[in-house]
Amino acid sequence: MVQQQTTSQISADRLSATFAALSDPTRRAILGRLASGESSVTELAAPFEMSLPAISKHLKVLQRAGLIERGREAQWRPCRLAAAPLKDASDWLEHYRRFWEESLDRLEEYLRELQKKEKKNARKK
Amino acid sequence: MPAKSNAAAKSSDREIVITRVFDAPREMVWKAFTEREQMAKWWGMKGMTTRVLELDPRPGGTFLYVIRMPDGREMCGKWVYREIVAPELLVVVHFSTDNTGEPIPHPYDPNLPPEMLTTTRFIENGKRTTMELRSVPINETAAQRAAFNKLADAMEEGFNNSLDLLDDYLATI
Repeated sequence: MVQQQTTSQISADRLSATFAALSDPTRRAILGRLASGESSVTELAAPFEMSLPAISKHLKVLQRAGLIERGREAQWRPCRLAAAPLKDASDWLEHYRRFWEESLDRLEEYLRELQKKEKKNARKK
Repeated sequence: MPAKSNAAAKSSDREIVITRVFDAPREMVWKAFTEREQMAKWWGMKGMTTRVLELDPRPGGTFLYVIRMPDGREMCGKWVYREIVAPELLVVVHFSTDNTGEPIPHPYDPNLPPEMLTTTRFIENGKRTTMELRSVPINETAAQRAAFNKLADAMEEGFNNSLDLLDDYLATI
């Protein structure tokens, strides 16, 4: 349950936005598509049988959640994945695991020292 | 690439599983897990120091601790023992608390499950001890469960074939 507090403040807000954005299957599919590279809105809309405005709406939600970025340079404003918030969300159990793993590393070391001491004491006797 | 399928599997089955083999007899490992002075020596990540405020290893008893981080900040947490069979089984509920031992919401996000049920088995393995730990979120509110499941769904179904690509991508950032 112990987390790095430095990241927790930022992450708390971001996580909620991430969860909301991920609640929709179309948006999840869009993210999946973008994982293979940047793409135009038209390209993104193609597999969904949706109007461009409908897709744009989804993209706005994803953008607000910080999950995607839109290019400014070109007129077609390519979309690309910005997966840091997604990583935070998928990482929270991993944080807990890491806490255990590192504690157990320390336990291992502690037990090793304990064994050494006991052996030394046994020899003295 | 072992890291690949892990993230998805862990999210969907909502369980942390850790297996370790300690080069020490079971009795010694058990004591390290259940004695006050010994817990303080290893509980916590590298660079953290742990003070044990309370350790009473019997069903309903608690292990209450304060962890001091390298930057000086402190945080508290608690185990409540559910089941104890010395020297082989330890079942605890683990959560964050304030410094009086009162539960507080998950420090990472109040939408995340607040409590972890952790079951640890200690198995004799010659002169060594195999430890198997399983940890799973419990006592979630409906909203917390929904938030978690949304994430799990997204990781599991939503990305389908793209999941591997996404994992690769996440591994690079």
